[in-house]
Amino acid sequence: MRFSGLVENEVLKIFKQRRFRVVMLILVALIGLIVFAQVRGRERFLAGKDWRVESQERMARIQNWLRDGRMPVSQQRWARFELGRLQYHLDRNINPDEISGPLFTRGFANASSYLLLPLLAIVFASDIVSAEFAQGTIKLLLTRPVSRARVLTSKLAALMLAITLTVLLGGVVAYLFGGFAYGYGGWGAPVLTGFRLSGERFDPSTVRSVVLWKDTILVYGLSWFASLCCGAIALLTSVLLRSTAAAMGTMLAALIAGTILPRLASSWEAQKFLFVTNLPLPDYYSGSPPPIAGLTVGFGVAVLAAWAVGALVAAFAVFMRRDVLA
Amino acid sequence: MPEAETVLSAESLTKRFGRREAVSDVSFDVREGEVFGFLGPNGAGKTTTIRMLVGLARPDRGRIRIRGLDLARDFEKAMAHVGCIVESPDLYRYLTGRENLLHFARMLPGGAAVRIPELAQLVALSERLDEKVSTYSLGMRQRLGIAQALLGNPDILILDEPANGLDPAGIREIRQLVRYLAVERGISVFVSSHLLSEIEQMCDRVAIIHRGRTLAAGPVRDLLGRVASDRVRVTARPAARAAEVLAPFGLVETSGSDGEGIVDARIPRERVPEALRALSSTGIDVFAVERSLSSLEEIFLEITGGETV
Repeated sequence: MRFSGLVENEVLKIFKQRRFRVVMLILVALIGLIVFAQVRGRERFLAGKDWRVESQERMARIQNWLRDGRMPVSQQRWARFELGRLQYHLDRNINPDEISGPLFTRGFANASSYLLLPLLAIVFASDIVSAEFAQGTIKLLLTRPVSRARVLTSKLAALMLAITLTVLLGGVVAYLFGGFAYGYGGWGAPVLTGFRLSGERFDPSTVRSVVLWKDTILVYGLSWFASLCCGAIALLTSVLLRSTAAAMGTMLAALIAGTILPRLASSWEAQKFLFVTNLPLPDYYSGSPPPIAGLTVGFGVAVLAAWAVGALVAAFAVFMRRDVLA
Repeated sequence: MPEAETVLSAESLTKRFGRREAVSDVSFDVREGEVFGFLGPNGAGKTTTIRMLVGLARPDRGRIRIRGLDLARDFEKAMAHVGCIVESPDLYRYLTGRENLLHFARMLPGGAAVRIPELAQLVALSERLDEKVSTYSLGMRQRLGIAQALLGNPDILILDEPANGLDPAGIREIRQLVRYLAVERGISVFVSSHLLSEIEQMCDRVAIIHRGRTLAAGPVRDLLGRVASDRVRVTARPAARAAEVLAPFGLVETSGSDGEGIVDARIPRERVPEALRALSSTGIDVFAVERSLSSLEEIFLEITGGETV
């Protein structure tokens, strides 16, 4: 039996379930909603105003907040960062709020990397093994002349394929909808990236200008990587818990905790070793003040990779050894 | 067949769950082309044994060989000779029958998919093959499960309680299919059941398992004949009179009184004609005489000398 046949089986099982179609539909509907809401928002706040005036007004507001002194420390870091970023754009006469189909596409990957895309990865991953237990089909799957290692490897391959497709679909739909609203051209425009705070001061030394299409590919690559790692960890929960609901619930709780934790307890530095803290890789790359000191793209990729590899080793070890009695 | 080749052999299988030994030192051989029954009450360790036979659970002690291949060491090669249904015929309900068969054909060496139409015909599912399994009845799923098990052209078919939950017609179909596969195709079949009648009608040889131990093994007739030989059930009118007449021949139990009723008696085989003559000569109407099967419990009683059950 060829390995491709096994992967074909697993892909077929993902696609034939209603779950897959629902997830794709949610993705399309959600992007449509985001575009609609954004267009309406921009109409109200930016209508007819010169972007320089708008930027200066915004900076003035932020400075007022800072002077006010009631802003929490984590917000102050953000405020200083934002002031620096706006000033940098003004100095170079680049509109920070520029929008186009391609820019929206990149923005979508940025915004969805820490919750939406990992969430969809979890939806696929958490039932990939547990569903076989729930349906009782695990008894057939593991009594065929195929080793358990090969069965799980084929499932992992199919899972990676499904996640890749989801990220790609997200990109394509974001471009289609975003382009419809803001125009399809502009892939060649330069974007500024690499803003950061050095200590508590805005540090422009690492800022560089990148062509948008290159930047977009990189941002999607990082989002994709984060989703894959999330999928690998969800695969482990699926193997361990043997119940789709339990696996999905566990991973969901982890994701949500990951979005809350940095805000509520930014002083607890060890959380930078958690996988959820490192999911917003595109943010750490294109530059926004990281919630915890010491988070960078390189660090995030390393932590996520370590988690994913660890999870896979554990998943294989358990899957290959455990008696199937259910 | 005097010395048929052994297809599957289990050597002193033992499986513990915590401190409880679910299966203790179970051994048996299944020979080429025979239907081998694995008989025992629910909870006797049948399913645990089967899970070990197909590699779902590891024995704590003992060894399984399929066509001489050690299952623990040569899993893929050994399982290429096996088709099985463990517990219930669970297949992918959101796929059609054909998609299910294609799925499992892809897990076998090339060419298995070619056999799908022939197997669908064999299990009488050709017409419904392109419908989703969720629309199938239990009997249909059981037959699809058997078609799946046969995809790889196995030497041995392992079926766990194949008659469970089926109606009488479904049970008969399965029984005929199993006999056909063994007799016409030369496939060895290992069947577990908690029903004596089912094993008696389907199997050539049988092993009886109780509380995780094999109590006896041998040809079905030898094993069952030991106990069943002196039990006769007579339906007669009036039942009370019949009981009186039969009393001198052996132990009698009656149900029913003045009217038609059933009399159970333990009469040695050679005295049965004499007893019947006595009944008809006293003017008692006899409607039926049958050799009543002893229950599984009685066999256990007989085999264990009444100590365990």
